[in-house]
Amino acid sequence: MSIRRTASIMAIAALVFAACGGGGATTAPAATTAPAATTAATAAATACKVGVAWSTFQEERYGLRDEPGIKAALAAGGGEYIGNDAKNNAETQASNVAALIAAGVNVIVINAYDPEAILPSVKAAVDAGIPVIAYDRELENANALFLTHDNVEVGRMIARDVVKAAPTGNYAIIKGDKTQTNPLFLRAGMEEIIAPLIASGDITIPAGAEVDTDGWKAEVAQTSMEQILTANNNDIQAVLSQNDNMATGAVAALKAQGLDKTVKIGAQDGDKFALNRVALGTQVVSVWKDATELGTEAGVAALQLCKDPDISKVAGATASKTTGGLDTSALLLAPIPITQANLQVVLDAKWITEAELCKDVAAGSVTGCP
Amino acid sequence: MTEAKPIEGTAASGGPTKRSARSVFAGLEIDGRLIGMIAALIILWVLFNVLSNGLFLSPRNLWNLSVQSAAIAIMTCGMVLIIVSRNIDLSIGSILVFVALVMGLLQTEWLPNVVGLGLNHPATWVIVVIIGIALGALIGGVHGVLIAYIGIPSFIVTLGGLLIWRGAAFVLARGRTISPLDTTFQLLGGGPRGSLGDVLSWLVAGLGIMAIAYGIVASRRRRQRYGFPLRAVWADVTLGAIGTLVVAGAVWVANSYPWPPALAAAYAAEHGIPVPSGGLLIPTGIAIPVLLAIAIAVFMTFLAGRRRFGRYVYSIGGNPEAAELAGINTRLTIMKTFVAMGILAAIAAAVTSARLNAATNGLGSGVELQVIAAAVIGGTSFAGGIGTIAGGVLGAVIMQSLQSGMVLIGVDTALQDIVVGVVLVSAVGIDTILRRRATRG
Repeated sequence: MSIRRTASIMAIAALVFAACGGGGATTAPAATTAPAATTAATAAATACKVGVAWSTFQEERYGLRDEPGIKAALAAGGGEYIGNDAKNNAETQASNVAALIAAGVNVIVINAYDPEAILPSVKAAVDAGIPVIAYDRELENANALFLTHDNVEVGRMIARDVVKAAPTGNYAIIKGDKTQTNPLFLRAGMEEIIAPLIASGDITIPAGAEVDTDGWKAEVAQTSMEQILTANNNDIQAVLSQNDNMATGAVAALKAQGLDKTVKIGAQDGDKFALNRVALGTQVVSVWKDATELGTEAGVAALQLCKDPDISKVAGATASKTTGGLDTSALLLAPIPITQANLQVVLDAKWITEAELCKDVAAGSVTGCP
Repeated sequence: MTEAKPIEGTAASGGPTKRSARSVFAGLEIDGRLIGMIAALIILWVLFNVLSNGLFLSPRNLWNLSVQSAAIAIMTCGMVLIIVSRNIDLSIGSILVFVALVMGLLQTEWLPNVVGLGLNHPATWVIVVIIGIALGALIGGVHGVLIAYIGIPSFIVTLGGLLIWRGAAFVLARGRTISPLDTTFQLLGGGPRGSLGDVLSWLVAGLGIMAIAYGIVASRRRRQRYGFPLRAVWADVTLGAIGTLVVAGAVWVANSYPWPPALAAAYAAEHGIPVPSGGLLIPTGIAIPVLLAIAIAVFMTFLAGRRRFGRYVYSIGGNPEAAELAGINTRLTIMKTFVAMGILAAIAAAVTSARLNAATNGLGSGVELQVIAAAVIGGTSFAGGIGTIAGGVLGAVIMQSLQSGMVLIGVDTALQDIVVGVVLVSAVGIDTILRRRATRG
């Protein structure tokens, strides 16, 4: 990977050099055409050159899922891929975006490390006439296409499957870190599903059974769950957890009371240990957001933007508002709820191996496991 | 241990009842600060009990509380010595996650697959814990050498450690969560199966009471030998009685918490025991991590009060230059405190990951501040030279009581943070004011 990254950085450096050498101190729009004219080696594939500013390769998913997805989609559509890594640093990402603009890319995909700090760079790209895709993190710019999984839908999906498994009773809700916006989206989705059932009296959220979790930490969720069970004398039928990591803590607390098989719990992320719990029957659902699919969609959208830079005309894009209230377009992908009924999906996507998924699962108890 | 000095009353306080209460404490030779903390804890518990309609002081919640406090208490025992010697350790949360992930990988991948022991081998947990502790000692040792021998401030070294070991943990596991863990190892985390049961718990209580009696008698003999003034007989008897009551009471509470019905039913089915109509009542007893924490606290108190190493730590904290001039190997002593801290962080790593049945990437983040807060609430002074292990452990219990108590009665998390912050600052504030008065008076 480091060789590839070095190669891509060298490629960018070469292109920057070529752009400057060919066009001199030109304005940004002129620079977009300069490399095509001056670098013969890449001339054949410059019909659609897409630059991606990644926030980090330190997290496993980006190098393993997102990047291959976008590369494959571009290769299939005759586009060219340039990527760089901000290494979790806002200044690095700003200079990376500048390098991509200078390299004359036709579309820029930004996976923002700091969505606030990157805004001047986004504006520079937009001013240079380059369409921008906000990849998985929202950018406060009306001209950036927001591409992400629909987190409100994730919340609905968690609640939907848990409600199916436990239609009545006391519900506990383990929410993520209160300083972020994601828990709000997730909670809103959950509310849509459970609100009518709370109104009809089928579901109750006992006082104190809805908690925030600092840093989405599993051990904090465990303590919260222990206290919720104590306060309600174990009279809890279901748990809505906002991610799999916190569900690990909640399940540990349930297990200590021998309730891990009876209390229904749902969460999201498609983490390997959580999918294993789904196979074992100690977790109802883990909503899975396929990062490869997100990469693929970014590639497909970028190819369309090369032909027509109007972000509202990208297939599947809908009009939406940013959190700050700007009118823009968003392309929201539907996540996939993984339950015992469709374990094959994660196996087919090579997201998890059969050995990992089926660890300790009794033979023949679920489809997908031997 | 700071020696308890009878504090003479100032003009503002000092009615006849107070004086006699003071003379009682003076006779018992109990640190007045410790009494204050115990009083604060009791007030807190009663308050939470009223607000939670009697839930807080139920055996189940007290048992929960003991297990939830264990890991923090274990680490506080080391942090007290670090702070007493005028240092700080910010890296313990990162050491915790790094060691937890190494132990997690050892028991789920390296030992079963590479060494070929297979999953859930009976020897796995011993090997894992020994390697984990050795790793903790090594990391602490490296920090200690940099601080004591190279002379880099401990704040900087351990701030570096905070970043380095969390980063190393990420590189090691690539952000994965290691779960589930070895079945025997899981017992270190407590839970009904990881508890002693009633018979063993009473045995531990018996040993504890005998140790208290022996301690009192031995201390009397020692004083006689060196010609020190003896504690009054009534004071020795009272101390022994209080100790016995506390130990027996704690074990009685732990034994009054029966196994959760679902687990008891599963256990009955496994062993073919008929379940009576009222449900099978299996007393839970002391949880293993709690026993560990108590053992560590007793050992560290002994180390701090009775061993040369501990006395050196307090002399260095009281006056580093004087300690150095008195011929104390201050560098070696400081290094040892960080080795001890590393070992305790590793034990806490075992307890935390075993309890969660998972080694996750976010384990232990922010725990250093909880531990420092526990030590400080427990009367450890940043000025150095002052602080007790017992106080630190009490501080940990106060912190955890606040947190789990507020979750129990459903206080909003933002408000929880505010309350903990206010308690931290006021505890140290009251302590500072009282100490200033005591020195003036």
